[in-house]
Amino acid sequence: MSATIEKGINALKRQVDSSVAAFFSSCVHCGICAEACLFYTETGDAKRTPINKTEPLRRIWKSEYTLFGRVGKMFGLTRKVTDEMLEEWQELVYDSCTLCGRCSMVCPVGNDIALMIRKTREGMAAAGQAPEGLIGATTRSVTIGSPMGVKWPALAAQIRHVEEDSGLKVPVDQSDVDYMLLLSSMEIMNFPEFIEAMAKIFDKAGVSWTISSEAFEATNSGIQIGVSDIAAELVQRIVDVADKLRVKTVISPECGHAYMAIRWDGPNLVGKPFGFKVRHVLEVLDDLHKQGRLKLAGKDTQRLTYHDPCQISRRGGVIDEPRNLINLFADNFVEMPDGGKMNWCCGAGGGVSANERADEIRLKVFDRKKAQLEEVKPDAIISACSNCRIHLEDGLEEHNMDIPLLSLTETIAEYLSDE
Amino acid sequence: MTKDKNLKNGAPEQVNLEKGTPVKGTLGEALRSQGVSRRSFMKFCATTASMMALPPAMIPTIARALENARRPSVIWLSFQECTGCTESLTRAHTSTVESLIFDSISLDYHHTLQAAAGHGAEEAREVAMEENYGNYLLVVDGSIPLDNPGYSTIAGISNLDMLNEAAKGAAAIIAVGTCATYGGIPHANPNPTGAVSVKDIIKDKPIINVPGCPPIPVVITGVLAHFLTFGSLPELDHIGRPKAFYGQSIHDRCYRRPFYDKGQFAETFDDEGAKKGWCLFKLGCKGPTTYNACATTKWNNGTSFPIESGHPCIGCSEPDFWDGGGFYKALSMPTVDLSQTAAYAAAGAAAAGVAIGLMNRSKKNTSNKIHVKTTLEDLKK
Repeated sequence: MSATIEKGINALKRQVDSSVAAFFSSCVHCGICAEACLFYTETGDAKRTPINKTEPLRRIWKSEYTLFGRVGKMFGLTRKVTDEMLEEWQELVYDSCTLCGRCSMVCPVGNDIALMIRKTREGMAAAGQAPEGLIGATTRSVTIGSPMGVKWPALAAQIRHVEEDSGLKVPVDQSDVDYMLLLSSMEIMNFPEFIEAMAKIFDKAGVSWTISSEAFEATNSGIQIGVSDIAAELVQRIVDVADKLRVKTVISPECGHAYMAIRWDGPNLVGKPFGFKVRHVLEVLDDLHKQGRLKLAGKDTQRLTYHDPCQISRRGGVIDEPRNLINLFADNFVEMPDGGKMNWCCGAGGGVSANERADEIRLKVFDRKKAQLEEVKPDAIISACSNCRIHLEDGLEEHNMDIPLLSLTETIAEYLSDE
Repeated sequence: MTKDKNLKNGAPEQVNLEKGTPVKGTLGEALRSQGVSRRSFMKFCATTASMMALPPAMIPTIARALENARRPSVIWLSFQECTGCTESLTRAHTSTVESLIFDSISLDYHHTLQAAAGHGAEEAREVAMEENYGNYLLVVDGSIPLDNPGYSTIAGISNLDMLNEAAKGAAAIIAVGTCATYGGIPHANPNPTGAVSVKDIIKDKPIINVPGCPPIPVVITGVLAHFLTFGSLPELDHIGRPKAFYGQSIHDRCYRRPFYDKGQFAETFDDEGAKKGWCLFKLGCKGPTTYNACATTKWNNGTSFPIESGHPCIGCSEPDFWDGGGFYKALSMPTVDLSQTAAYAAAGAAAAGVAIGLMNRSKKNTSNKIHVKTTLEDLKK
């Protein structure tokens, strides 16, 4: 109960670095980022232009780190960052941004606007301006170990079911294995098939793997709410266990921001390089296939399309792997318009789905995905992010569209060759 | 060129234009006696009228006025000058009506041209001033030194004193050449003699500035003709120049203007562009900022003008042309060497940048220092 505007402003001051200064100095106010953001295109509301969402950070940069800003501050000419201002921006920074990074792709001067919005959240959170839902998720992540409140006994029960159904052993807390699999709460609670799929695939491929009872949660609410200290703590839990078990590779599951948090932000958050590799599950599967350890049989003749999760494709670079894998079993694969690195966000990533206040707008901006799907008219949609899956199902239901959502990993497990 | 006293003092009788016999002692008579036909005289009047943008109906008026005009007394004072202006006005290749008009004025004092010397010469000036007090034209070429009167004297009289004295009885003053009009080369930085122009000293007389280094002869005669015809000065621009001659820039009247418009420039004096007669702007031509009649009246009896002979205009009829940067620097280039200034500015900016960078760094360090690890407790107010 100690968040203050001063702490918020100090947090924003800490976020200004050379790249932020370069970004703000080089912004030409062209507004091209607006057209790249589904929260703008679907609402037509100019205040939702991506660069506008960074305004609190920009004001701090301007008034604290620029000559004109300092002089202006002396004469009281600069616009201040106040509680009222941050409250007004809450809806823009948290509800109207999934950190999908599409704006960063189109910026003609190369500004990473998504990064700046992420940094703006640091100030918002420190000033006590984070949404209730995200504070709750973050609290559960830290105290319970999972944003959805999933504890080890719940996962242990799911593992037991998987083992009974598949007749396969799911290794727990085994050391010196090749892979340590992380899971997102959503997979544990909503899609336990994912665990079964991994067990089957790894069994066929003959690799050693494990799930840790201490650090199984892949998601990172600290990243979404914008508190690096908490994000670092959550990453550190995984690092400690991976080091203890001496695993070679940590696998990030079918979850967008979890991959970004552990692979790209992780080492920066804990401040040192990892002693293990981090790979997305699709990268691992593609690798196994290339090594000849993943063999598939049979074809799906349905018209299939792939929804690129932003943090995995655009921000993570895992673009070819899912397509390689889909082509192993799909006879009739069609790309969505803008598929690949410029795919449109589902509308619920980056903490939006954890923020009940944003329910209305996330379903509103689903119109963009709906338009894409109407153009492709697929029989089923494949994705590689549980959060995308759940939101896409929500949106489709809202519009009475009956298109099933498939997990890529689970689908691969279904087409495993018996040889 | 000393003037015949009889002619000068001839009676100003009414002329009988129909008979074509000019009255004795007038300009018309003087011209006739020198063999100028009425036809060429009328031609000159027409040319003068058109050059000075007067309606054709004015031609007979000019002719009548010039024929009847009593040869005006002209006193020509030369101060800090090079005699180039006088050269320009007297060195015509063939005798023209302009030069004859010039020849036919009663040039009572011009120390370069007159035969008299010493006391005789100065006496001629004093007599002319006295006899024509209030009516004579005073022509001045050269600038006037104000630092030390000893820099330029005539017969022991300083230029300043002579000008002040001669100006008193003058009907009007024609400042000829850039030195007399704007100070010219003597006035150029660092101006060692403290040279100034005529208009800097004389404030109570009408002054016509005829700048140029040297000025075009026909401009002088045109101004004289105007003065004789209408008894007044022609319309002048904001720096005292007759608009009829100085109303348009060299650039606007230049025959090479189409090359400028097409972006075809000579880059050096011996390149293809120079051979093809392309625009000399990049070689420093001051045509765009220079107002004079060179491009239309031309020089040496209409033979050519500097740009036509392949050299950029140096802007000699403009104030301070000598200090306007190099003659061969294009107008759009800085007139002074900015490299040192730029170096200082860059060093200053770099120092400021380092200082601001250090301040920013310390600010960020401070914000890092006062940061206390954010915990769950800190997420709410």
